[in-house]
Amino acid sequence: MATPVIMPRQGQSVESCILTEWKVQSGDAVAEGDVLAVIETDKASFDLESTASGTVLELFWDADDDVPVLANVLVIGDEGEDVAEFRPAGTGGAEVPVVDSTTPNPSLPATETPVPFSSGTPPSVSTASNASSVGVSPRARKKAIKFGVDAEILVGTGPGGRVIERDVDAFIASTPRLSAAARVRAQKDGLEPPLRGSGIAGMALATDMREPGAIDGADVEQVKGIRKLIAERMMQSLQGTAQLTLHSSFDATACQLMRKKRLADGESKVSINDLIAKAILSALKIHPEMNAHFLGDRLAVFHEVNLGIAVDSPRGLMVPVIEDASKMSLEMLSSEIKKKAVACRDGTIQPDDLSGGTFTLTNLGMLGVENFTPVLNPPEIAILGVGGICVKPKRLENEEVSFVDQISLSLTIDHQAIDGAPAARFLQTFVNHLENHPGEDPSNIEGEE
Amino acid sequence: MKYDFAVIGAGPAGYVAAKKAATAGLKVVMVEKKKLGGVCLNEGCVPSKTLLQAAKTYHHAKHGSIFGVEAGSLSFNFGKAHAHKNSVMDRMREGIVGLMKKNKVEVIEGEATLIKGGFSVNGESHEAENILLCTGSSPAIPPIPGIEADHIVDSTGILDNEKLPEKLVIVGGGVIGCEFACVYGSVGVPVVVLEAMPEICPNLDSEIAAILRKELEKKGVTFLLGAKVESFEGNSVRYHLDGESKETEADLVLVATGRRPNVSGLGLEDIGLDFDPRGGVRVDEKGATNLPGVWAAGDVTGQAWLAHAASRMAEVVVHNITGQKDQMRHDTMPAVVYTSPEVAVVGLTKEEAIERGFKVKTGKIPMAINARYIAENPGETGMCKVVLDADTNRLLGVHMVGGACSEMIFGAVTMLETELREEEIEEIVFPHPTTSEIMKDVFMAVR
Repeated sequence: MATPVIMPRQGQSVESCILTEWKVQSGDAVAEGDVLAVIETDKASFDLESTASGTVLELFWDADDDVPVLANVLVIGDEGEDVAEFRPAGTGGAEVPVVDSTTPNPSLPATETPVPFSSGTPPSVSTASNASSVGVSPRARKKAIKFGVDAEILVGTGPGGRVIERDVDAFIASTPRLSAAARVRAQKDGLEPPLRGSGIAGMALATDMREPGAIDGADVEQVKGIRKLIAERMMQSLQGTAQLTLHSSFDATACQLMRKKRLADGESKVSINDLIAKAILSALKIHPEMNAHFLGDRLAVFHEVNLGIAVDSPRGLMVPVIEDASKMSLEMLSSEIKKKAVACRDGTIQPDDLSGGTFTLTNLGMLGVENFTPVLNPPEIAILGVGGICVKPKRLENEEVSFVDQISLSLTIDHQAIDGAPAARFLQTFVNHLENHPGEDPSNIEGEE
Repeated sequence: MKYDFAVIGAGPAGYVAAKKAATAGLKVVMVEKKKLGGVCLNEGCVPSKTLLQAAKTYHHAKHGSIFGVEAGSLSFNFGKAHAHKNSVMDRMREGIVGLMKKNKVEVIEGEATLIKGGFSVNGESHEAENILLCTGSSPAIPPIPGIEADHIVDSTGILDNEKLPEKLVIVGGGVIGCEFACVYGSVGVPVVVLEAMPEICPNLDSEIAAILRKELEKKGVTFLLGAKVESFEGNSVRYHLDGESKETEADLVLVATGRRPNVSGLGLEDIGLDFDPRGGVRVDEKGATNLPGVWAAGDVTGQAWLAHAASRMAEVVVHNITGQKDQMRHDTMPAVVYTSPEVAVVGLTKEEAIERGFKVKTGKIPMAINARYIAENPGETGMCKVVLDADTNRLLGVHMVGGACSEMIFGAVTMLETELREEEIEEIVFPHPTTSEIMKDVFMAVR
């Protein structure tokens, strides 16, 4: 019996997932648990596993489609079964037959009409849906037929966008002659020729054929999945908020002594980054206005801190969230940060762990960065960037100058929600905590300010 | 003087480049230290083909009885064959002289040295916007004790030998070794070829090479495969084979163990040109060296070692200098062994295609299925092999041995250059009866 496989719900807030890559095609035999496709939420990517065994009868979506959760993605069953009842509304389901590569296909003779190519330069090609609204001139059509060009898909430069003879000429001039083998690659693999091929008199050879949009001297890949999401969010952030970055630094001596003492006392190892996270929580207790979401007409100041930690993963930047971090001991915080970072790098992080942050910490110090301007993760109103250790002179109480390890700080705020001075006061509290009470619970030092 | 284009070396790269550049309107000078025509005309292709034709004519006369041609007393006058060879060379050289004159190419006799921005020759310095270095190659002489003896010659020296020896030993079973084995074997001289590799002509498809070897054996050539020459003492040639040291006698020895690019004495080090003494001048697919305005083509680049490759490389250089986009495609460069039978190949062997990641299918048929071939080449074994990309049915390589197959390999070159597939080739008409029909029929055997 035919069984549909649905798009699973990846966390409470996820309404749709992008189907980034199919791992099967129609006619493949699959078993329960086999990977059918790779899907991505706006935070992470996952494998879509089969919930049934049998033959893949139909794929309802194309790669890169945004598929609503709980929608039917494909149907598995016995060959010949009707799948119409499972087909989601709005999907065609019509598949392009795959040409068998090993046997010559008599329906693809060598003299077939050349496939018109868009070669990335002026003679552009419109999409089928909006083409030929103002038509093709008779001369252009005659020439197009002669050269086997589909004039309907060209973008015209004539009156009102009409396709005229020069548009057809420009298209023909921009399209190199394809060798027979190159044409097969164009038809079978959807590849395009460069403006000039490496073959005889510039003929495009099979090896010249490349992915649409290729650029000479560069590896080109589609921006999709997490990269696309990061790109969108970063642009939204810079276009939709009023970012202001404050720079400061703190003397790391107390943190270093504290870490040494913990080691000597046989306590668990904590990193400077853990101590910084703890200091954020401590300072937010005193300056809760920094722990907020700016929602345009409303400002939500949160009671607890859900601390986002920027993590460099093989898939790109991820920001796992330590929920209710404000309630955690230093040890617990340290272990949670480590756990979430590992999950991001391994690709096992859950979507719900990637949302709901109220304040974000990002650290590029280990990569030798001294200072940078972090980009907000809206609707959060603050993100703290941490740089590397720099040796700087410091005047001591006895007026002598000594060299100390300083760690730079860059606090980006949304000036829509908060002003520079309160943000600076937050930084002061934060620095004071790290220089005098590293690792301590906020309650212990409350009231000091 | 100041030139647009200076050509150093007047071989098949040099004179082709000079003529082409002059036709395009450039002020061209060509410098040659020896004779016009290079190795090809003076020490290689042209003289050896003349001698091969002489040997072939003798062989046909001697074995003509199958055609009813009964030659009574038959003799071979090697001196006359050389006279014909020399007249062909003279005529071709005159042709080059005329070609240069007609195209207003200045020809300077002398040894050129490259200098910054130009070259110097006969004590004078000249400027040149672009320089093409095409100084060719010379026979490589291995350091074998006793090799300096007078009866031991290289491929240049043997062309002047007008006396048939009692016995000829050839060191090296490559293309040059096989061609001279064919010349001398065909006229009745016992020939022994000592080849270090397990098969002759290691660059050829091994099945094709084996057929060539057996055909030459029929002409009285003995091949000792895996034999490494140790020394020459008097008329004795000492070699190592099958774990033993052996010897054979010969009054003429040809050393044909490859060629080396001519890169010394040209001042290449002084101008900082990137080259390797064995591998030659490094060039890209346009013939450009590491120095702007300095180009190289032909044997001096260590690529191909073929006259027609040199000419094409030169053409590519001139195209690039004159603003026409062009590049070398070595994969479609044909290669020929001008023995009887001839070997002609282009493209990839099955092994090379697999190594490049192609899913391969092949086809082969004996030439003996072809009427014209068996009519003209009774008793000879020939074969045609094709290699195809199983994914696109594109032809990747053609390998032939038999008759005068060098004359039809250009057809295969055209197919490869235009990446024709089985489906297109099937529709090409070949005249009947010709040996070339084998190129069509071989596809029936593809699987």
